[in-house]
Amino acid sequence: MASTFLLVFKRFIFFILLQVLIFNKFDLFGIYSPYICLVFILTFPVKTSKISFMAVAFAFGFTLDLFSNSLGLNATACLTVAFLRPYIMSFIFGGFFDPLGLKLIKNYVSDSSFSQKILYISSIILIHHFILFSLEAFSLKHMSTVMHKTLITYLLSGFFCTTLIYIMIGNER
Amino acid sequence: MQQLIDFIIRKKNVFVYFLLLSFSLSLIFKTNLFQKSKIIIFSNSTANYFNEMFNNLNGYFDLRRVNSELVNENLFLKNQLENVINKKQLDSLDNAIFKYQNAKVISNSFSSFKNYLIIDKGLKHGLENEMGIISSKGIVGIINYTTKNYSSVMSVLNIDTKINAKVKRTSHFGTLEWNGLSSKNLLLNDIPETAEIKVGDSIITGGMSLIFPEGINIGVVSEIIKQKNRNDTIANFMINNQVKIAKIQFKENYLNIVVKLHTDMNNLDIVYVIESLNKEEFKNIKK
Repeated sequence: MASTFLLVFKRFIFFILLQVLIFNKFDLFGIYSPYICLVFILTFPVKTSKISFMAVAFAFGFTLDLFSNSLGLNATACLTVAFLRPYIMSFIFGGFFDPLGLKLIKNYVSDSSFSQKILYISSIILIHHFILFSLEAFSLKHMSTVMHKTLITYLLSGFFCTTLIYIMIGNER
Repeated sequence: MQQLIDFIIRKKNVFVYFLLLSFSLSLIFKTNLFQKSKIIIFSNSTANYFNEMFNNLNGYFDLRRVNSELVNENLFLKNQLENVINKKQLDSLDNAIFKYQNAKVISNSFSSFKNYLIIDKGLKHGLENEMGIISSKGIVGIINYTTKNYSSVMSVLNIDTKINAKVKRTSHFGTLEWNGLSSKNLLLNDIPETAEIKVGDSIITGGMSLIFPEGINIGVVSEIIKQKNRNDTIANFMINNQVKIAKIQFKENYLNIVVKLHTDMNNLDIVYVIESLNKEEFKNIKK
């Protein structure tokens, strides 16, 4: 348990710094910047209870908000994704998913099929981006802009998140 | 009662979720500014400290570009000064309406729909809400919140911003807005179709308020989107009833103009704050 706590704590700080100091200043296509911080939620240990997961995800989003001057936006998006993750995992991985958390994220990466991985990553990223952008614009007038931006940012973050997961999952215990 | 408690225990995840969700939503839509400002002050003092540290480190890599921009601006200003002196011996301080201060950008966002900048001057240096911010090339934004040492600036890349602007050649007034899709372009609305606007016309601030003085560069017209043909409206007029026509014609009388910004919003370092010296007088006469 202590090792899980330490792992989550280390990743918490690492992803906040990575997102705030490097990826928020990313301007490949002008206004789109990838949300690499979602890797924190995608690879959160399955073992932890749902309530502590939601609390940690909320704190994570809130810390991001403090740095990006957008009070409550990231917190809401991260919290909702954290709440939905167990349902999404059991839906996508089916019988392969075990809620007790005997399997590590490493096992999910190695044992699941390609389409399962793509579905898992895309569904979480799409839900997160849609909530974030629609809350931010908060008007139906800008709905088409929100959809446009969700799709393009999804492609960017999907690419970066997948790459980072493959790099970091090799040395997970 | 027993059943109710059992139900809550069984569904405790959902309850915790909605508790946290209501808290975070209340943070977004809170109208009570006092609590919000408490949190913003806290975040300013902690997050800005880190941002400033990182920016100091990063600043050295940009020195060459900043230097050349400053030299160009100096040259431009020197030329202008020459013109003024040659025309008549005027003391420019006598009838100054606007006062300029420099500031440094600490954090800059451009990837959300409501972008804000943070600059390193605040109440201590005499900054207030609703002061304009420009860079050496064009407008940047308007101050919307100040604390003791820092100010937050609503950038022009914000879907709530509305800035009064005019076309330099024809003096038609319009409203500048952002559509949220590109950090290089803004939209100029409310210009009537009869105005003969061409691609390449320059757009400047209108000077209808004391936030920006008149004549600050904004950008150039890069595209003019015309609505449907006028012939279509006439055809519609024959077929449809009059109420519909009135609506269609109302929409068609305005142009949608895409304006390419002079300022590179992704790459801001030194900006200028414009303080109007006649603000009180202007407010009094407006009452």
